[in-house]
Amino acid sequence: MAASLIQEDWTGEDVSVSQIERELARLRDVTSEEGAQPNLRTSVMTHIAWVPQEWQSQAEETLAGMAERHPSRTLLLVPDPDAEAGLDAQVSIRCFPIGDRAICGEVIELRLRGNRMYAPASIVLPLLISDLPVFCRWRGAPPFGRVEFEQMVDVADRLIVDSGEWRESQYDELAAIFGRTAVSDIAWARTREWRLELARYWPGIREQEIRIRGPRAEATLLRAWLNTRLDRAIHAIDEAPALAVRLGGEELPSPRTPTPSPSDLLSAELDRFGRDPVFEDAVRAAG
Amino acid sequence: MTAVQEEQNPLLDGLRIRRRPDPCILVIFGASGDLTAKKLMPALYSLAYRRLLPEKFGIVGAARSEESDDEFRERMKQAVQEHARDPFSQEVWDELAQGMRYATLDFADARGEDDLRDKLNELDRERGTMGNRVYYFAVPPSAIGTLIEEIAKRRGAEGWVRLIIEKPFGHDLASARALTKEIQEHFREGEVFRIDHYLGKETVQNMLALRFANGIFEPIWNRQFIDHVQITVAESIGIEGRAGYYESAGAIRDIFQNHLLQLVAITAMEPPIDFTADSVRNEKVKVLKALHTPGPKSVVRGQYGPGFVEGEEVRGYREEDGVAPGSTTDTFVAAKLYVDNWRWADTPFYVRMGKRLARRETTIAIQFKRAPHPPFDDGGEGLRPNVLLIHVQPNEGVSLAIGAKVPGQGMTIRTVHMDFLYGGAFREGLPDAYERLILDAMLGDATLFTRSDEIEEQWALVDAIVAPWARDRPSFPNYPAGSWGPTASDELLHRDGRSWRRH
Repeated sequence: MAASLIQEDWTGEDVSVSQIERELARLRDVTSEEGAQPNLRTSVMTHIAWVPQEWQSQAEETLAGMAERHPSRTLLLVPDPDAEAGLDAQVSIRCFPIGDRAICGEVIELRLRGNRMYAPASIVLPLLISDLPVFCRWRGAPPFGRVEFEQMVDVADRLIVDSGEWRESQYDELAAIFGRTAVSDIAWARTREWRLELARYWPGIREQEIRIRGPRAEATLLRAWLNTRLDRAIHAIDEAPALAVRLGGEELPSPRTPTPSPSDLLSAELDRFGRDPVFEDAVRAAG
Repeated sequence: MTAVQEEQNPLLDGLRIRRRPDPCILVIFGASGDLTAKKLMPALYSLAYRRLLPEKFGIVGAARSEESDDEFRERMKQAVQEHARDPFSQEVWDELAQGMRYATLDFADARGEDDLRDKLNELDRERGTMGNRVYYFAVPPSAIGTLIEEIAKRRGAEGWVRLIIEKPFGHDLASARALTKEIQEHFREGEVFRIDHYLGKETVQNMLALRFANGIFEPIWNRQFIDHVQITVAESIGIEGRAGYYESAGAIRDIFQNHLLQLVAITAMEPPIDFTADSVRNEKVKVLKALHTPGPKSVVRGQYGPGFVEGEEVRGYREEDGVAPGSTTDTFVAAKLYVDNWRWADTPFYVRMGKRLARRETTIAIQFKRAPHPPFDDGGEGLRPNVLLIHVQPNEGVSLAIGAKVPGQGMTIRTVHMDFLYGGAFREGLPDAYERLILDAMLGDATLFTRSDEIEEQWALVDAIVAPWARDRPSFPNYPAGSWGPTASDELLHRDGRSWRRH
């Protein structure tokens, strides 16, 4: 992956949205060399990440691998409910070389202090790039029913969660928002190779005993998927560090594909637009 | 088949699976050549790296030179390490190399054919490739006929056969027809994949997306709104030691007959009813049939003399190794073409291609008519016509030149470019054209390959253009290496009150 060519930053405390927009325009200007062709701002979406502080370092690591693959405006929303009300911003332009030009993406990290975190839509809406899809990655367990989450569900064209980050099952609550926005679960994406592998055992698999071990989220979703696709009951899961399946008493070999990185997994979800009825059925069954 | 087996597999619902070809063996004739090392093997490695090759797959390299299986593998490994776009993975390579064999093949000696057959049978047994074959002909046209005969003779009862044939397909209309006839005695048109690697380029396919996926372009994509079209296929390199081929081909057969006419066809074609092989090719062939043969005044040919390319002094064509000192081979061709149909009547397509030009660039420029009456103080002096520029290579993308107001007092207009760089929006890394085309051939999808009737139309036009050349004694060289070609090429447009795009 190519290193960024230019990076310009601006940081402000207690800022307004219009101030952020002004600084973005200024940074775009300074990242272009005088006399040279201007850098290109290329975006295929607005990418919002709701990142509570405990998830911040992991989120930034994932985003570092994303900027090149999905040129976008990224809004990193970091809620800080215990602080005095206000909005802090760190705005950066990251440019990557392509031939004799550079492509620039924008990352806006917003610290939503105090009551600002309860009105995220009013902060995010003026910063969305018009006419492009909005993806929202919600880190950790979503606070279903709370105003900040509900607002973001209505803003996003696609909500991306990772049920592997949840302490307890919330699949029923997740299923309840299917009608409002398209939803992805990265834990579901992690089961893809196993789903492909198991599909190879059709039609015998319809009748065979199936036992699933693995991390709770992945194993639950895989079991629910088999349950809905094969229309039959499947044994309860056993928790284990890695997914494994026994079919008809035989341990199946693990799929021979490299484990995708968190960036790869998120990247794949950002390429999807419509709803996934097979996933939705599995989530309903998992609930 | 029982009812149970016919029932659709519900576990595959919603899984987006890339189509994977059937098990097969790819046989490369001409495996000792540059194309195999620089393009084919790196492309196969990249396909393996992405797990796009069949699970059961083998490669047999065949060429005249003596080489063991291990030597072939080692040479191909070095080629992959040097030319592949993906990082080298020993695991991926080992898997690919396991199914690799080499057969020494003298095209005039049947023993070599037996050796090849034995290796293929061995691989079928070891790898489960079920008798399916893709034969890649990276050999001169003169060698194809013999090979086709041998393949047909040894065609097994099991499995399918696909023939990928590199350009040039013949050297004129008569030879192309003869070759087609020879092939069609043994193989169906659907089994023949004539490769023009330009069609495998993402940006060439993007031209179809640009035209037919966007409602804003197609209504103005015609003689009413377009002043003219310019297509440039420029190379800064010389003939790179290929004098034997180039002396008899020249730019007209090397580039014009295939890549350039395909670009014209894709630019000018009507929307196909769907994206199947025959629908797309039917529309392209209509354009090729509608191409008006340009008269001698509408064609400029040239040959480079000594000059400088990227600061380096380079020899003229006649001083290149293997080139006759008095050679009249063209290394540059420019032409004004007309597509005689309702959409394009009277709209010139200016095309040029050549070697040792100022820089490597393939572009299609659609120049629109000027605004009829710019109501500005200076009459829009700074305003150039709108141009939609498709960069095929390098820096793949699309630019639109539009007029915009210069900030400040008054109403001064300047032309600015809105750019879409392909790599800027989609950072996946563009696949090499050969990756796409080899995979398509394995899948039996001929959309991006040239059909026999297209080839014949292309040769018919070339034959008509070169016919008067036999009587000419051109004054060559007529352009210095590192320039944009002969002055007559500029005059071709100046006569019409136009000029080539500024670079």
